[in-house]
Amino acid sequence: MYDKEKDLIEAFVRGQVNRRGLIKGLGALGLTASTAGVLLNAAATDALAADFDWQAHKGKSIKLLLNKHPYTDAMIANLDNFKKMTGMEVTYDVFPEDVYFDKVTAALSSGSTEYDAFMTGAYMTWTYGPAGWIEDLNEWINDPSKTNPNYNWNDMLEGVRSSCAWNGKPGGELGSADAKQWCIPWGYEQNNLAYNAEMLDAAGVAVPKNIDEMVAAAAKLTGNGVYGIGVRGSRSWATIHPGFLSGYANFGQKDLNVNDGKLSAAMNTDVSKDFHNKWVTMIRDSGAKDWATHTWYQVGTDLGAGKSAMIYDADILGYFMNGGDNKMAGKLAYAPFAANPEASGPTPNIWIWSLAMSKFSKDKDAAWYFMQWASGPEHGLFGATQMDFVNPVRKSVWADDMFRERLNKSYPGYVEMHDLSAPGAKIHFTAQPLFFDLTTEWAATLQKMVAKEVPVDEGLDQLAASVDRQLKDAGLG
Amino acid sequence: MEYTSPLEKTLRAIALTLVVIFFMFPILWIFLMSFQTNETILRVPPSVVFEPTLTNYQALITGKLETSAASLEINFMRNLFNSVFLSVASVAVAMLLGVPAAYAFARHKFRGSEDIAFTLLSFRFAPPLLVLLPLALYFQQIGLADTYIGLIWVYQLICLPLILWIVRGYFEDISPDIEYAYRIAGHSWFATFRKIALPLAGPGIAAAGLLAFIFAWNNFIFALVLASADKQPVTVGALAFITASGIQYGQIAAGIVLSIAPTLALALYAQKYLVEGLSLGAVKG
Amino acid sequence: MTMATTPGRAPRRFRISKRALPYVLSLPALLVCIGILIPFFTAVFYSLQRYRLSQPWARKMNWGENYLNFFSDPSFWNTLKVSLLYAGLTVVLELLLGLAIALLLQKRSTINNFVSIMLLMPLMTAPALAALMWKLMTNPGFGILSYFLTLVGIDDFRWGASSSSALFTVILVDIWVYTPFMMILLLAGLRSLPKQPFEAAALDGVPRIQQFWRITLPMLTPYILTATLFRLLESIQQFDIIYAMTQGGPGDTLTVFQVEAYLNFFQSTNVGRSAALLMILWAITFFISNIFIKNWLRLRERARGEA
Repeated sequence: MYDKEKDLIEAFVRGQVNRRGLIKGLGALGLTASTAGVLLNAAATDALAADFDWQAHKGKSIKLLLNKHPYTDAMIANLDNFKKMTGMEVTYDVFPEDVYFDKVTAALSSGSTEYDAFMTGAYMTWTYGPAGWIEDLNEWINDPSKTNPNYNWNDMLEGVRSSCAWNGKPGGELGSADAKQWCIPWGYEQNNLAYNAEMLDAAGVAVPKNIDEMVAAAAKLTGNGVYGIGVRGSRSWATIHPGFLSGYANFGQKDLNVNDGKLSAAMNTDVSKDFHNKWVTMIRDSGAKDWATHTWYQVGTDLGAGKSAMIYDADILGYFMNGGDNKMAGKLAYAPFAANPEASGPTPNIWIWSLAMSKFSKDKDAAWYFMQWASGPEHGLFGATQMDFVNPVRKSVWADDMFRERLNKSYPGYVEMHDLSAPGAKIHFTAQPLFFDLTTEWAATLQKMVAKEVPVDEGLDQLAASVDRQLKDAGLG
Repeated sequence: MEYTSPLEKTLRAIALTLVVIFFMFPILWIFLMSFQTNETILRVPPSVVFEPTLTNYQALITGKLETSAASLEINFMRNLFNSVFLSVASVAVAMLLGVPAAYAFARHKFRGSEDIAFTLLSFRFAPPLLVLLPLALYFQQIGLADTYIGLIWVYQLICLPLILWIVRGYFEDISPDIEYAYRIAGHSWFATFRKIALPLAGPGIAAAGLLAFIFAWNNFIFALVLASADKQPVTVGALAFITASGIQYGQIAAGIVLSIAPTLALALYAQKYLVEGLSLGAVKG
Repeated sequence: MTMATTPGRAPRRFRISKRALPYVLSLPALLVCIGILIPFFTAVFYSLQRYRLSQPWARKMNWGENYLNFFSDPSFWNTLKVSLLYAGLTVVLELLLGLAIALLLQKRSTINNFVSIMLLMPLMTAPALAALMWKLMTNPGFGILSYFLTLVGIDDFRWGASSSSALFTVILVDIWVYTPFMMILLLAGLRSLPKQPFEAAALDGVPRIQQFWRITLPMLTPYILTATLFRLLESIQQFDIIYAMTQGGPGDTLTVFQVEAYLNFFQSTNVGRSAALLMILWAITFFISNIFIKNWLRLRERARGEA
């Protein structure tokens, strides 16, 4: 089977045919892009296998805990190649995102040995790491006998990679020299602007370049059952982390001050109050009516259904809404967004779906085999070009012509948005154990401000006082 | 029977209609939604005119959803099976344990009987989260984590007290004279229990069983915390249609419809016992 | 008669003394529940600790400090207030509505029986899924209820997303799910009332309204108490509906006990505070269920007295 195809692919792997020639050649042989991708990956993994003993854990079995997500779909689609290459068995549990992290916390806090590796966000490792539930992966990454020579750890985007590393000290800088690598970036989201190009054109509104323009543009676009700007608003940390914190950080603002290892609230400065005021006005005037219950999926679906004109949220939401059976598929466009007109560039806060290794895993070396494959360059390229494994975390994937072409063709502005924002893209929060307490309270305060239950200035002072009190109680302030 | 004026009859009919509309409309709407695609569901203004499609149910039943974006795997039927299995098994175990105990409490006043009964009932009212988290830890240690047995045990928290109390009330209402007569005729205790007491308490047992079934079916958190993905009930399964690449409203609706269907069938089947059996054993005329 | 069934010579194989029988019968049920006591005491132990999963090094016994802190913690008082308000409102409204519906369906007829089963459907919808349904129906974009409101000229109603209507919205969903429960218990009560007093009253020419106040209601009171307390115990522990609809927001409008404890455990991983909150909730439910059971027992005693 597939003999001709195999020859062609092997020629590619040997470097005799370039990538485009390969896909064209395969197309001529009647292969669909995604089948070609799987085959190509099979060949690439065969090539890989030559330099490293991938079969060291043959016959072993590992189990993963996964979130229902396109990244998971992409991994599962390619999983057979891994199993074939290593002779390992991989099983997995997939849980809906609404309950996913509760499941992870339940499994880890009870010391469950069921799962060897699992998906997580970087913020969660600020709990899991100190709690002693996950491993510092540096031990494996830096061991050539355990990590294949093509893994190319330095290929990971700098900001993303360091955002997953923390020394465990409250307020400790992410990615510092003594940091532990709690998780491996897998796919990530920048928070930027996605907009309905048709609506903006029709209303004669230019793509906003800063927060004031955004407030004005959103107001202009509101009407006829459409609202101007979609941002999250539910009572959760997730309301603070996307567009809101990205814009906030663009003004040089921080969540917490760190002085001699002591933390204190930093959100009641004048600049912060000004930014909060604009944000709150924007939501009141041109946000969703049910903003206060909006999580990522309502923000996304409303854009996809043509209920909102713009979103300042995860870029991949805009990406997904431009495809599939969404009403607005093909009408969306993307732009980098720097809230501060004086900023040198955008500073998106990021969400990183990453892979972490459970401390309770019974075979960590075997689990690491899976992790390095799943976060390796071959699977990254396969997922990015054949499936919806965006945004990739590897520079090599972003440099890939086919991937850029694919994005440019159907997702106008996406590549430039990413390239422009990547230098400033990282986690802008202060890593500390009370992350979820403080951000949930921040979101609740924001809700009160929008509902006019408390004036912005007063609300921020109250929030700062409460944050300081909680930090003191926890021995951090 | 008493005379009812035409005015009263009309008023009653109107009131009843309003009640039925309030309680049934959401179900009807979700039912209609389950035959639509996202495209017609998201229409503004909403409309009842649409071309019905079975794709949602098809996707749930075959476990494969083909969208233009990707092919998604759905384990909803597995979730449905788990719900049925967990609820049926839990209610069965609760009956096996609870009915004899209820009989004991009803027929024999023994030392501490009220205390024991109270302890049992108070479990029903303890916040589930309170015991659940330490329980997860212990289950891990004794190997009950991620087993159906462990789950069925925890489900007893919901089912057992309910059965015990309703059935106990029912037994107390049955005059012990019949049982005495039967025993004096020379039958064993067990035969009396089986041939006389149980059939007489039938409606109470059926109603208690149905209520316990409903509460077990509606539970959300136990399996989530204590078991892996292949043992999750429909309450967790229905959330799987919300993913980063979009929300499948039609499938959520179909999932809800499918999750109500088994309990409804059971309720219709047990209908004649339901009202009679639920008098909670209080004052009999 | 065979030998085996002769009185006094019952089969000896499973001979259990009369005194032991009730213990034997109730023991298995009790044993199953005893297992639950161990995690319960573990939770009590947690509640007396300073215990955050994210700061394992700081874990220590702090005895009653978690509880003492509640006194000066405005968010705790808010939680208590919201929980009681929520429980009070839902139970009263569901009682009134449930009683009204039960009265409508009192007469035994095919239609009434059928309707009463149909009305149980909301109860069969898991609260978590019911919340999801209502979220779909109240969506300001395509939700049918929002659309109905715009038809009557209200186009700025925000359901769960506004602090002024969030409580109303979750209570509405709670009413939708649980009124049928109230209704079926009261209906069972109504139908089991003796006929004689009503016949006598009708002969004396007592008007129907009077009959309701003077006969039906007093006789139904035990049922009403039972159903109310039962519902109260559940309502004060509400989680599924509120969490699914608003996650406790907007602001701190709906941070009831279980929502707060859930967030404290699963998000903040503050086990000590979470357990202390749940212990207080447990104390409240224990207190209510005590009244509930006493009432139940008294009701039974009286029933036996009348029989």
